[in-house]
Amino acid sequence: MRGTARTVAMFAGISATALLAAACGGGDSGNAANTSAGGKTGGSITVRGCNPQNPLVPSNTTETCGGNVLDASTAKLVHYNAETAAPENDIAESITTQDNQNFTIKLVKGYKFQDGTEVKAKNFVDAWNYAAYGPNAQSSGYFMEPIEGYADTQCTGEGDDPCAGKGKAKTDKMTGLKVVDDHTFTVKTSEKVSNLPVRLGYTAFAPLPDSFFKDPKAYGEKPVGAGPYKVDSWTKNSEIKLSKFADYSGKFGGKVDNITFKIYQDSDAAYNDVIANQLDVTDEVPSSAQIDDKYKTDLPDRNAQKAVGVIQTITFPPTKVDPNYADPKVRQAISMAIDRDTIIKQIFNNTRKPATGWVSPVVDGYKADQCGEYCKYDPAKAKAKLAEAGGFKGGKITLSYNADASHKGWTEATCNSIKSALGVDCVATPVVDFSTFRTQIANQKMKGMFRTGWQMDYPSIENFLAPIYKTGASSNDGHYSNPAFDKLLVEAAAATDPAEANKKYQEAEALLANDMPAIPMWYSTATMGWSDKVTGVKITAFGTIDFASISLK
Amino acid sequence: MTEATTIAVGQETHVAEASEGGARSLASDAWRQLKKNPIFWVSVVLIAIFVLMAAVPQLFTSTDPTEAVLKDARMRPNADAWFGRDIQGYDIYARTIYGARASILVGVFTTLGTVILGSALGIIAGFSGGWADTLVSRITDIFLAIPLLLGGILFMATFPNNADSPYIVVVLKVVLALTILGWPSLTRLMRSSVMQVKPNDYVQAARALGASPWRIIRSHILPNAMAPVIVVATINLGVYISVEATLSFLGIGLTPPAISWGVSISDALVALRTTPHILLFPSLFLSLTVLAFIMLGDAVRDAFDPKTR
Repeated sequence: MRGTARTVAMFAGISATALLAAACGGGDSGNAANTSAGGKTGGSITVRGCNPQNPLVPSNTTETCGGNVLDASTAKLVHYNAETAAPENDIAESITTQDNQNFTIKLVKGYKFQDGTEVKAKNFVDAWNYAAYGPNAQSSGYFMEPIEGYADTQCTGEGDDPCAGKGKAKTDKMTGLKVVDDHTFTVKTSEKVSNLPVRLGYTAFAPLPDSFFKDPKAYGEKPVGAGPYKVDSWTKNSEIKLSKFADYSGKFGGKVDNITFKIYQDSDAAYNDVIANQLDVTDEVPSSAQIDDKYKTDLPDRNAQKAVGVIQTITFPPTKVDPNYADPKVRQAISMAIDRDTIIKQIFNNTRKPATGWVSPVVDGYKADQCGEYCKYDPAKAKAKLAEAGGFKGGKITLSYNADASHKGWTEATCNSIKSALGVDCVATPVVDFSTFRTQIANQKMKGMFRTGWQMDYPSIENFLAPIYKTGASSNDGHYSNPAFDKLLVEAAAATDPAEANKKYQEAEALLANDMPAIPMWYSTATMGWSDKVTGVKITAFGTIDFASISLK
Repeated sequence: MTEATTIAVGQETHVAEASEGGARSLASDAWRQLKKNPIFWVSVVLIAIFVLMAAVPQLFTSTDPTEAVLKDARMRPNADAWFGRDIQGYDIYARTIYGARASILVGVFTTLGTVILGSALGIIAGFSGGWADTLVSRITDIFLAIPLLLGGILFMATFPNNADSPYIVVVLKVVLALTILGWPSLTRLMRSSVMQVKPNDYVQAARALGASPWRIIRSHILPNAMAPVIVVATINLGVYISVEATLSFLGIGLTPPAISWGVSISDALVALRTTPHILLFPSLFLSLTVLAFIMLGDAVRDAFDPKTR
């Protein structure tokens, strides 16, 4: 359950919205102190929205449509800086630990929920227990996994309803969480975790008010958070209205009084409304407007691009599923046969950056060129490498993708590049939709290479390595296993000095170049456009709109 | 007796054509009419070119349609690539030439299928009458109620193409879908046409002489009732080509790596605002093909229909 939830959430964010959905974007909007642009306070703006998949419960929202709304309406222990994604304390006054396993979290006193009650330690503990408890089936429940006692809150049964009968979870409380007093609680993790404070800014860790537990259903329609904006109304398929929370206690408030998410089915429609000044901001510029940078002439001085924490990769199948790709030399040859620069220029119109490693440049701990020469296009070397490996034995190379999102263009171009460089036939193979695609991968039925993408949950190098390449990790689609790599990750998690932890993670990442479990393709950037009524539009490192800095002219 | 008459007519026509006068058969009359019609010649030339394109595309281009030059993607028409290059850097001229095959195959096979199925059922209904007529007519009504495009989408969405289905399977699947939905109009037409021919004296005479039903149908009814079906089938051929392109455009007709105009148009859509030439050429060829068949059908109808003279 946990595994699928994670993968689906992460990948859906990338695939379904084609570009840079900040599915897991955490953090409130912005940093008022940093706002450089002018503009007055007050007034109303409209931004592009889409239909939330689930009720607006923080621990059950892993896609952008609901996530964007919750980002504005909830406050978390830490807040990610809009520019750098660095965590800053928000509700937390301090998060301390001696050993990376026992954490003491002190809260700011007097922080208010939008229903007037105070944010207390038990609001966090109850919310996290609720998220973890198996029968609640919260899609972000797996974020609680590091906390001690998580396993006992999970259902162990098989089949459609794992919580029935004997499979029932043993307890609905995690032993690792303890309320000390109203403003203090402690967290004990089952293993050492070096970056727990960084994780706590994710929406899943938001506190829930007492009213939530009385009626979770009503809460899902009209959530009550502690953030700078409160949800006034949600008209299904039409709009979600937010207004400024007058008693907001944090430091990251916004300038405008009202924000309306207008729900669009189609990013082209939203984009055209922005051109016509009918909509103030769209966080998605459709590919038709990206060709030849058309949006720059459509919206002169009213557009922005920013690198976000998303990486696209091509993953090799597990050896027992398809042995033709097992030799690392074959993998490296294929990687060197891909002309990333030209594909990015011609297919993505420079909205991506060629990847030189497995970690996005936006996170702390990123080191360039970890992949080295294997991620540089060199048809001659690629061919030599393949010859060294004894050629490709499978007949033709295949690259599968989910056909329900715009992956056809780049997979076809990638295959053409491999075909012309290696002289081995390569076919981009569509799989009807995302869930079928993921099911085939999860059941180890997918032969040949397949596309994968990862959107960071929290800005840490660890998030790009452990969940994807650690032995048995939830999103380890290629079933990669390297004891040396695992050992470095454990050491890094135990390191109390962040710099030292990062160094260990980087060493681990460097090991990936030898084995090539996945080919790094490119890092994504978010592109936005806005009307001539607003100013100060900024893109966060998660690809979302920074509501703290936006204002009317 | 009847046989003799037919032969006599044939001979007479032969003579008549030589002497430019006198009585002529319907077919030879139509042919004379057609020969004088410039629209007929225009459409025949166009169709000949497209059929040749479908049969031997190598005659028209030596470029490999699957060879992508990504760095030149979206290049405008130039001396090197006459129609420019598309989003993947394929040569649009080569893609357009090779795309003709799918459209012509679907058009021709579907027309053959509908004509054979539709005529056979139409003759059975019209000739035998009674319960067979009622049965066929009701089934025709049922199928006629399903819109062609909607039915095609339903069929193709229910039986989607597999990534490694061979080309001919992909084409035949579309043909099958369109045939299943396209035959009823021809059945109706054939039925009424047969019912018109059936009471004629020569049919009665053949029956009186003891000719078997099969012989009557083959020698007397079919040649005289076929004209309207041929006309409508020719016009429909153009319609089937456009439906195929529509299904391919929606991603459920012919699917890549098959090259088809519908697929090309679908791929080009995203570049409509910036590089419209990618969309223009496959659309132009599609329109011309459909137009050619519809013009041919029109000309043939004019020739076969004495009332328009």
